[in-house]
Amino acid sequence: MAVYNDFFGPYGGRYVAELLRGPLDELEEAFKKAMEDETFLAELKRFGKEYIGRPTPLLYAEKASKAIGGADIYIKLEGLANTGAHKINNAAGQALLAKRMGKTRIIAETGAGQHGVATAAVCARLGLKCRVYMGSEDIKRQRPNVFLMEMFGAEVFPVESGSKTLKDAVNEALRDWAASSADTHYLIGSALGPSPYPDMVREFQSVIGREVKEEQEKRKLQVKAMVACVGGGSNAIGFFEPFIAADSPRLIGAEAGGTGPEAGCHAARMTGEGKTGVLQGYKSRFLFDGDGQVLHTHSISAGLDYPGIGPQLAHLGEIGRIEFTSVRDDEALEALRFFASREGIIFALESAHAGAAGLKIAAQYKPGEAVIINMSGRGDKDIFITAKALQRDKWFDFLREETENG
Amino acid sequence: MAEKNIIMTHLVAGYPDLEESRRAALAMVAGGASYLEVQFPFSDPIADGPLIQGACTDALNSGFSTDKGFDFLSSLTAETDVPVFLMTYANLLMAPGVEVFVGRAAKSGASGLIIPDLPYDYDEGLYKAGEMADIPVVPVVIPGIDEERLKAILAMKPPYIYTAVRKGITGARTTIEEETVRFLDRLSRSGAKVLAGFGIREKEQVDLLSRHVHGSVVGSALVEIIGRCAGENRDCSGDVKAFVESLLKP
Repeated sequence: MAVYNDFFGPYGGRYVAELLRGPLDELEEAFKKAMEDETFLAELKRFGKEYIGRPTPLLYAEKASKAIGGADIYIKLEGLANTGAHKINNAAGQALLAKRMGKTRIIAETGAGQHGVATAAVCARLGLKCRVYMGSEDIKRQRPNVFLMEMFGAEVFPVESGSKTLKDAVNEALRDWAASSADTHYLIGSALGPSPYPDMVREFQSVIGREVKEEQEKRKLQVKAMVACVGGGSNAIGFFEPFIAADSPRLIGAEAGGTGPEAGCHAARMTGEGKTGVLQGYKSRFLFDGDGQVLHTHSISAGLDYPGIGPQLAHLGEIGRIEFTSVRDDEALEALRFFASREGIIFALESAHAGAAGLKIAAQYKPGEAVIINMSGRGDKDIFITAKALQRDKWFDFLREETENG
Repeated sequence: MAEKNIIMTHLVAGYPDLEESRRAALAMVAGGASYLEVQFPFSDPIADGPLIQGACTDALNSGFSTDKGFDFLSSLTAETDVPVFLMTYANLLMAPGVEVFVGRAAKSGASGLIIPDLPYDYDEGLYKAGEMADIPVVPVVIPGIDEERLKAILAMKPPYIYTAVRKGITGARTTIEEETVRFLDRLSRSGAKVLAGFGIREKEQVDLLSRHVHGSVVGSALVEIIGRCAGENRDCSGDVKAFVESLLKP
């Protein structure tokens, strides 16, 4: 597909106040030029190999496959990328682009903190000033990632407005950028926002899918389905990208089913009550009430807890190329335990949603056929949530001891 | 340009509640405002600063709905003679459908629509709907806007143009630069009534702008006053009226 599309069916676009229009037009030009420049692409590739650790492995999960008794399950171990998640692919691409554009300062939003950590790391490496906007609620829940960002020299800026979470951090970063774009690049972490962001993030994340495709051909895998979790959708769109134009394999997106289908308890935009709207500069499917006011969302994984979805994914869902399913908090935790005990892999809670959906899909096929799950991140970062959920008493004893004796 | 200073005063409908915002609106008119800009609160108002966003959040928490907003607008336009403009964000139009929303705005007596995140080239049918319902859509521009875009906007011959006098969001005080003044003059020469805002809170700014545009828009400063009165649990009418008068006195 073209590097720059703007719209995907009815979704996408650049619905912004005039003050953001100039910076976005400038970014579109720079992005299109960079993607045609062999030097830039070579630099990105080298950065990926030496710093991110690309290519990441594609693991045959033998014990998991046997336990299910269906398809051969493969796991793309994207969580082995430096800083622990796929987020760094896009952070690296955009930061290198920003440098090329002569920008000296980077701003970013972060929810769980993974995108913030990746951005802060890349900025440290490239010598760019970095400020990360983060909702004050998220700062409370994600102290370890705040610590890491500060280690990398980034300033973590608490956002006190609205619901004090990811969407508010996006609003605040957009406000900063409206006044600072002369020397500042806004490094959006997911495949959403006004164009050219959805196109740009897809292009920088599609390295995941290209590596999968290479391995598929090398190992002659009969891939029946590919499964990824979908918050904003950056890992999903990058993982799916080289396969979208064909009719197969099945592409499956797992959204956060939270604690149940009631309003405010989930983030199911495609399988729940999502409606077409315009928010944060783009048109897509969002969770909002009858008046258009954005609803609160919930998921055990902070990275899936967002009321919108990338416009290209919304479109592909609508035309049926991507199937969406929702996975509840408890199912994600169960999948986390399943892969930990059988494969020695700790999924990030976000990716565990894909794990849970992937196990269900695998059961529909037979050995010799393959289902590939994208483990977009590893779960070290979640220890404060998962340990509390899975070993409550022991974990609290530990924390108590740490505060008393620390 | 104008003989006496003309100002458009802004308020967030339903902040701190509908009754108090109605009193504020009437006090603005009593103080001499020539236009009212009524903002329907949205959960994610990205062109606004923290102050107005906070007011929007409070208004939503105290039960603002689009239905109540249109009732508010209807009673306001019935009660005063000054033109009332409706400002809000795209998703409030997307929810019921752009045409439906615009139709309701026209029926409520609004004199114009200001929707900053529906620019003319990504407008979801807003400009056409405005034409059909005979309610002008007010383009929002900024100094430094791309030349081709400005030409396209002027070619639509809008009766009103809303312009920021600086880059950035609403809120902080603005120093008006020479280059900005030249831009304002150019906009005014197009024949549109130019309304200039973002960071206007002092009489000297209003005086200076009055030589170059049709009117100045005063927003955050008034939201601050209304908020202060709400915090002290007293009627804001007196303070609002006095502030508007202070901007207009000869």
